[in-house]
Amino acid sequence: MMELLPQALTDGILLGGIYITIAIAFSLTYGVMHVIDFAVGEWIMFGAFTGYYLNKWTGLDPFLFLPVIFVLYFGVGYLIQPVIHRVLSGTKGNPFLMGLVFTFGLAIMFRGLALTAFGFYSNSIPSAFSEGSFDLEPLGLTVTIPTVRLVGLAYALAITLILHYLLKKTNFGLGVRALAQHKDAAGLMGVNSKRTGSYVYGIYVGISAMTGVLLGCILSIGAQMGNEYTIFAFFVVVLAGMGYLAGVPWAALLLGLVQSIFMIYFNPSHTLLAVFAILYIILLISPRGLFGKGV
Amino acid sequence: MKFGFVRVLLLIAALFVAIPVHAEQRNFFKIGVITELSGDLVTGGNITKRGYDLWAQEVNAKGGIEIQGKKYPVKLVYADAQSNPAAGAAAAERLITQEKVDFILGPYSSGVTLAVAPVVDKYKIPMITGSAESPLIWKNKFKYTFGTIPPINFTGATSIKTLTELKPAPKTIAIIGSNDAFSKATAESYKAAAEKAKLKIVKFSIVPSGQDMTPLLSAVRSMKPDVIAFGGHDEEHVKFVKALKQIGYTPKALLMHCGITDKAFIDAVGKDGDQIFGTTCWTGTAKTKSKVLWPNAAAYAAASQKAFNNPGDYTQGGCSAAGIAFQTALQKIGAKPGMDEATRTKLIQALEQIDVQTFYGRVKFATSGEFYHANVGLDPLTIQIQGGHVKTVGPKASVEAAAIYPMKEWKSR
Repeated sequence: MMELLPQALTDGILLGGIYITIAIAFSLTYGVMHVIDFAVGEWIMFGAFTGYYLNKWTGLDPFLFLPVIFVLYFGVGYLIQPVIHRVLSGTKGNPFLMGLVFTFGLAIMFRGLALTAFGFYSNSIPSAFSEGSFDLEPLGLTVTIPTVRLVGLAYALAITLILHYLLKKTNFGLGVRALAQHKDAAGLMGVNSKRTGSYVYGIYVGISAMTGVLLGCILSIGAQMGNEYTIFAFFVVVLAGMGYLAGVPWAALLLGLVQSIFMIYFNPSHTLLAVFAILYIILLISPRGLFGKGV
Repeated sequence: MKFGFVRVLLLIAALFVAIPVHAEQRNFFKIGVITELSGDLVTGGNITKRGYDLWAQEVNAKGGIEIQGKKYPVKLVYADAQSNPAAGAAAAERLITQEKVDFILGPYSSGVTLAVAPVVDKYKIPMITGSAESPLIWKNKFKYTFGTIPPINFTGATSIKTLTELKPAPKTIAIIGSNDAFSKATAESYKAAAEKAKLKIVKFSIVPSGQDMTPLLSAVRSMKPDVIAFGGHDEEHVKFVKALKQIGYTPKALLMHCGITDKAFIDAVGKDGDQIFGTTCWTGTAKTKSKVLWPNAAAYAAASQKAFNNPGDYTQGGCSAAGIAFQTALQKIGAKPGMDEATRTKLIQALEQIDVQTFYGRVKFATSGEFYHANVGLDPLTIQIQGGHVKTVGPKASVEAAAIYPMKEWKSR
């Protein structure tokens, strides 16, 4: 069974790449807006269907549409954020809970809307990348790397690096980090919290929608697909530390590796149990996530 | 204080006592439909809805169900089980106590059916599920629950037998099932049939529903099984085929369950769906003859194509056949809308006695044994997708086309 270890590790890393794409922007938006957006899976689903239809209508590879999808959904997120901001900045009741309920309601509404608009069948997005794989047998390793999953990992790393650059090397990023640390103080220093929040939410929705296209190429798409990804996004972000962006890739890779190794070497039916057991143990030891840097 | 405690106890007791279902006078049959119209199983739920709708549409187009010279139309009242057994049970309570339905057409999934069956037993309301296939439903011997699709342990063995008759005969098999009542039962029935056929089982795994199975399939690939058999639902079928293709492993035969007979599966996976085997009990080309509503399978498929732009699959057909079974039993006992408990009991007896030829084939419910109240009138079929069409490749008496075996490599398609 040990000969399967290289493949198990490879599969785990590739699966981790998928989880990075789902969770990284979700973590960013939590860090800035302090809202757990339960509609993350639905943004992924909308992006997936947009890619599906663009491919169907034009016949072009869905990966070519990623920039278009990002711009389109950035706009959607930018326009929706002020509504969420209004819910979160209320003075009566508990704005945090209201934010949760609001995004939860959005998720249910989006799911119903998708069911009506896209129908109830599962679909798949064809891509040239879905066809091939890299076989490492000539190198003496019994490892196969599906091209589309490798593209997924590259996409995950690219998004992570771009976000890192944006946050650490630009004035906009400085404003975002200031906002994440202390909203009022950032405001006093000249950061426009409303506009910056809208940009961040737009970036998050845009990245989530692009992720949908990727997932549609690797797995499948359907009007109800979002729920599963919301759970995993939430899981990764909690494990990484709420709002701690740098922890997301490590948490995602850990999750992917646990899942892969457990599926191969232990009882696959208990995979999710193992994943959640690890989450609970880590949170017991370090309640602020893997690196103790979450909110 | 003591009085208050007694009052609470009385209140709790009142909640647990079944509210008597009173008959309502009306000139149409009010039929409750519980199915999964949202949630993970929304595809199957909507396919069952189509089956029930098509039956109701056809019955009403003919003026209704004729009872003693008078025609009574049917009206379907839907309740969403949300792909959740508890929500299904709550929906059944509502349909029975508030909507006061005459009888129920049951859920898509076995899990929800298992939650609804005790509720219909409690209120003594007959239910036929046109879809659920888990053997657990029938082993529980629910008096008021029937099913038109044979249980998977009745049908699953046929496909394994067909595969073992291919040349060169497969010797090894890996079996994977998703962790829900139906899919798990499918995997277990394949396992039992493979053991009986002396196929070497190199892997048997039950995986959490909806998960990415690539790591598991990578492990399976290293065992190089001749056959891979999978029990799951529509979305999982798509993911499964894509994962196998991504890791570059083509078994000699890939066997999945009936869900692959729906045109939507073939559309989703395209040429990769070709040569996949499946287990079913009905196709649009099945040789059936009937005097009720549709004369044969082809006529039903044409009606479905016209109504939904889809010829329908075995689940949809099973649901329409469930309506026909009720219709036949109602006519047999001359039951009119707004049935009382005594009439509903007679309806159960009539359902146990019916033996009717439908477009779906023979409907005859077992009255004892492990298949109690499941339809045992049908012959299971092994199908294979060939050139985008579903073809029956076994058993020998039903063959439409020779099986293509071994499967063509993914990369050379």
